[in-house]
Amino acid sequence: MYQYDEIDQTMVDERVAQFRDQVARRLTGEISEDEFKPLRLQNGLYLQLHAYMLRIAIPYGTLSSHQLRGLAQIGCKYDRGWGHFTTRQNLQYNWIKLEDTADALADLAKIQMHAIQTSGNCIRNTTTDQFAGAAHDEIEDPRVWCEIIRQWSTFHPEFSFLPRKFKIAVTGSPNDRAAVRVHDIGLRMHKNAAGEVGFEVIVGGGLGRTPFIGKTIRDFLPKQDLLSYLEAILRVYNQFGRRDNIYKARIKILVHELGIDTVREKVEAEWQATKDGALKLPQEAIDQIAAQFAPPPYEKLQGGINADYANAFRTDFEFGLWARRNTFKHKQPGYSIVTISLKKEGEAPGDAKAEQMNAVADIADRYSFGEIRVTHEQNLVLPHVRQADLPAVFKALKAYDLATPNVGLASDIIACPGLDYCALANARSIPVAQQIALRFKNWERAHDVGELKIKISGCINACGHHHVGHIGILGVDKAGEEFYQLTLGGSADDQAAIGDLIGPSLNATDTVDAIDTLVETYLRIRKDSDERFLDTYRRVGLAPFKEAVYVAA
Amino acid sequence: MAKAPKLDNQPQIVTANDLLSGDVVYLTKTAAWTRKIAEASIVENAQAGAALLAVAEAQAKMNIVVAPYLIPVDASASPPRPIQYREIIRADGPTTEIRKPAA
Repeated sequence: MYQYDEIDQTMVDERVAQFRDQVARRLTGEISEDEFKPLRLQNGLYLQLHAYMLRIAIPYGTLSSHQLRGLAQIGCKYDRGWGHFTTRQNLQYNWIKLEDTADALADLAKIQMHAIQTSGNCIRNTTTDQFAGAAHDEIEDPRVWCEIIRQWSTFHPEFSFLPRKFKIAVTGSPNDRAAVRVHDIGLRMHKNAAGEVGFEVIVGGGLGRTPFIGKTIRDFLPKQDLLSYLEAILRVYNQFGRRDNIYKARIKILVHELGIDTVREKVEAEWQATKDGALKLPQEAIDQIAAQFAPPPYEKLQGGINADYANAFRTDFEFGLWARRNTFKHKQPGYSIVTISLKKEGEAPGDAKAEQMNAVADIADRYSFGEIRVTHEQNLVLPHVRQADLPAVFKALKAYDLATPNVGLASDIIACPGLDYCALANARSIPVAQQIALRFKNWERAHDVGELKIKISGCINACGHHHVGHIGILGVDKAGEEFYQLTLGGSADDQAAIGDLIGPSLNATDTVDAIDTLVETYLRIRKDSDERFLDTYRRVGLAPFKEAVYVAA
Repeated sequence: MAKAPKLDNQPQIVTANDLLSGDVVYLTKTAAWTRKIAEASIVENAQAGAALLAVAEAQAKMNIVVAPYLIPVDASASPPRPIQYREIIRADGPTTEIRKPAA
């Protein structure tokens, strides 16, 4: 894992001291709320409905057990013993006090973490595949490139006041688990005809009020040119992106209005002037960072199915269910990747108690080289677990309510905080997600339905990624009442798609019933149990689902 | 965020967030701030509402609270009940049992 050097640590420590001074000046009235607000936002501190909320950056979703314990401790010391993992692979504390924030940031700095650039019109935390460095289908570990982007984008003076926020995601696998096509810039690592590894650069994707699937601006970018090309895109965006209308300020609108060919011409022109300059990455620098992501000291194990694992799979039904849904093939023979569901039916998606964080840290130390990942689907991952240890890991997780066997199933819902917490929301998300998940508590039904990605946002800003849910749910305010619009057929993977609106919005109770109806309709018309909900939708379209929901209503 | 309703001549109170803690607070008759909506000062018309808000805004300038605003309430309820569900959630706390604050 990447460790801060002296420069990193000094920057973060100095930032804490600076913020401590800003808070002190706010409390004495030396600076007004209007002056203070952008300063606190630059340090990840929002004022939400009930309290301040502090958003912590988890670079590319990678945590050490030491860091996770530190986050648990901060949650106990300054919050209410909780943390909330988000779709940006970040962590939010929902009950922070302004007077405690500088101390919380100082404690974070001690575990090499911070809240810098988790808000504001700057380049945000770069996200990636939660299985990076472990997945069997990976070309290269994308975290090396995320870290290079992190170093380049942190406090970048030219890009600290962009027209709007800017999000970059990287995948090192052809099977996109990082939703790269719905980011401002998506980077997909692949090999060219000569067998060299580089990036397909995708630009102008995004969700929010006006969702777009990103467009390819360059098929193949050599690795050493990554930063100069990113800088060229950012410069074009900074120059031509709209600042007159907040809703039209993201790069997706620029790409849509100018067209990808015009944007490409401008970027290429900018890039030609700078590509061989200071941003060309020397191999030595790349190697230095790559060395920090060296694989852990795996045991040399035999490939194939481990006997202990196979035995537990046969004899322990619950374990078998969990192993089937919550493990993924590792690139190292004899190892598996474990996804820890933070979606126990009836709980708030993405929430983790401090005791659960501590338990995961302990389990990671014992079974996964002390490493943890955060997924954009609001779960955690143990990236390197010996297959033979899976039964023990399952047992240890189960003791802390962390072994729900539902990864990728209907109850594994992405939900934004919604109106229970968020000052921008129009409607609640979490209670609706909880009610839907309870409908799928019956494992037989949930597993029969199979992969079904339900995503819910409490407002048009789409933090819950509803546009790319197989079933998307958007909370709206309709004459002072909470209502929900449903979309079908969205997807965030390598065949990314924006969902289609099914019809008029429904109240919360009818929405939960409608999800049931959609699922029953799918079960009735699917070709066979191998055809996923999304596949059925793509085959038959909106009509049978729409008819079922609105006739039933 | 949902549009703020027109207040006109209906019962209304002033709410804000406490600067230090971020807690939801309400303005009382003595121009103090309380976390209990039962202690909020209720006025019955737009003119009195504007006067109440002016007091609150002065306090915001004194760095006691952040961003005060008026909300309509059902004054016949005891304690007074906000009309908008956003304000009901602000008054009662999150509706997800799991994350309700300790009593």
